[in-house]
Amino acid sequence: MRHLLITTLMASTFAMSSHAAFADTADGDSLIGKPWEEITAAAKGGEVNWFLWGGSDSINQYVSEYIGGILKDKYDITLNRVGLSDTVEGVNIVLGEKEAGVTDKGSVDMIWINGENFRTMKQGGLAFCGYTETLPNNALVNWDNPAIANDFGVPVDGCEVPWSKAQFAFAYDTARTENPPRSIAELIEWVKANPGQFTYPAPPDFNGSVFVRHVFYHAAGGAENLLGPFDQAKYDEVSAKTWQILNDMEPYLWREGKTYPASIAALEQLYANSEVDLTFNYEPAGVGLNIENGTFPPTTQGYGLTDGTIGNTNYTIIPFNSPNKAAALVLQNVLLSGEAQAQKALPDVWGTQPAIEVDRTSDDVQAVFASIKKHPAVVDPKELAKNSLPELQASWISAIEKGWLDNVGK
Amino acid sequence: MSTRKSLITSNLRVLTGLVLITWLILPLIPLAIWSFARGWFFPDLLPKTWSLNAWNYALSDTAGVLDSLWLTIGISLAATVLSILVGVPAGRALGMYKFKGKEIVELMILAPTIVPGIAVVLGIHSVFIFVGLNNTVPGVILVHLVPTLPYMVLVMSGIFANYDASFEAQARSLGASALKTFWYVTLPAIMPGIIVGGLFAFLVSWSQYILTLLIGGGRVVTLPLLLFNFATSGRNDITGAIGMIYILPGIIILLLTARHLSGRSGAVGGFGQI
Repeated sequence: MRHLLITTLMASTFAMSSHAAFADTADGDSLIGKPWEEITAAAKGGEVNWFLWGGSDSINQYVSEYIGGILKDKYDITLNRVGLSDTVEGVNIVLGEKEAGVTDKGSVDMIWINGENFRTMKQGGLAFCGYTETLPNNALVNWDNPAIANDFGVPVDGCEVPWSKAQFAFAYDTARTENPPRSIAELIEWVKANPGQFTYPAPPDFNGSVFVRHVFYHAAGGAENLLGPFDQAKYDEVSAKTWQILNDMEPYLWREGKTYPASIAALEQLYANSEVDLTFNYEPAGVGLNIENGTFPPTTQGYGLTDGTIGNTNYTIIPFNSPNKAAALVLQNVLLSGEAQAQKALPDVWGTQPAIEVDRTSDDVQAVFASIKKHPAVVDPKELAKNSLPELQASWISAIEKGWLDNVGK
Repeated sequence: MSTRKSLITSNLRVLTGLVLITWLILPLIPLAIWSFARGWFFPDLLPKTWSLNAWNYALSDTAGVLDSLWLTIGISLAATVLSILVGVPAGRALGMYKFKGKEIVELMILAPTIVPGIAVVLGIHSVFIFVGLNNTVPGVILVHLVPTLPYMVLVMSGIFANYDASFEAQARSLGASALKTFWYVTLPAIMPGIIVGGLFAFLVSWSQYILTLLIGGGRVVTLPLLLFNFATSGRNDITGAIGMIYILPGIIILLLTARHLSGRSGAVGGFGQI
């Protein structure tokens, strides 16, 4: 016991002293526009603490082993991957530090982020902004694409860097279901014809919320009427129709709609246990990973909707008080590189879609991308992208989530 | 007649023991099976495909489970020792003496078990940032005392409520020093309470999530942090493997202290006035 106590004490003194052992690059503005060699030199020998959702062994291995390996070998930077159960936990740490007046010794150097969490960080002044031009691999990013330049309708304004693209897709078990519904209109009929075989996670769950937005788009007769800032009259009209559809559907849901799964993981478990026939996810590549790790039956097949599915981009952000901004910039640059984006797109690594323009990368990287064979169960991203719907602004999304709780989930 | 009666009671005791063991062990069996499964679907009674993937991942450097295991043991042991050092004198004061405002003190000590940790942790976080304890192991140990102390103090005040201080007076009158009196008279009498309270403190510290995450700032990675990542994402296989590692120390400590936990020891002698 005494031995353990000593170990603990040693570990703690180490944790405290390691803080001051290398160059501090908390002053981000002084890094903006500097030659890249100077930034990598300032980052050398340091560390970077990246907070990201840690619930996938495949993603963890890609980050710790592949990305961590490049950082160590090429730049002498130690990557400390901090696993989160929910991204908001990382945002709360930065928020708490800002309130306590910690402006240059924060504990978070980078967060994998998008949507509402990005809005919180941008509006709260928690993000380091205006540096994206400094990254050499920024040239691979198409900032003219509104789906990249806006994160759930909030302009990025150089406060984060894209990492991957995702687009909502359904999945079903070919051994159990012959003809899954291929549009929201079909789904509404299908649920009534197949009582107990469908449900969705209760918003504000990320995936449950995007499913409700698909019904919302359907009720509005298309997404184009809903773009732009929040419109109360429009919302009142469309939401009344949406709650009507969802409330009519409720008695035909799993367990007569008396309860909803609390998370996407719970829905995926229901699907895996044959309790419901359909599942869905904002990350369509997850079907492939879940078949390979045994979570889903191998006869699972992903598919898109004929009336389109919502797509989004996810990003990495550097908090304003990160003390290791140079190392975080190097990490972001590595993540954007064609090689790292191609590795991430391999179906047995992750299978997610790149956030960069593939035709701007080197010939070698383009050859890798061209040779990638998608997992047979994952819906073809090019087919999926043909019917891509935009995300709404965050103010719409929070109104819909609240409305669902008051009118459907009550 | 009397032998029949004792036969019934001893049978009952065995039965209760069996029920309790089943209750404790049964939920762990699917967890253990999952950790070796590659897919386990209804209505299969056992997984069709077995695999060591989950264990390979759990024991890999990427997962960091083993480093985290030693750190978690160290933090929980330190929190337990500090709980005992604070809880024994506090329990003595609350169990043996009457003083003004005692009810308020009792309420304050119980408060952390009533108020959810998330409500206070943001405030604690800014205080700890101010004194430089955030992101450190000592900071995490200290913040674990918030939920562990009520259990320790409660158990010790119960022990001291049934404790007769005149034994100490006798030892002193026979010439024992204060230290010797404590060592040979007080300590043996309160030992069962220290063990039960310490066990509570260890297990409460062992299972902390949000306090560790926020005060540790992600730098102090204890096992619950790793476990919850996979439990919330529905990865039953990896949750099973990490879960098996997670429950080991609890079981070992329970086995080591089991003989002090029987109904015959003084530790379960009631919780006194508190």
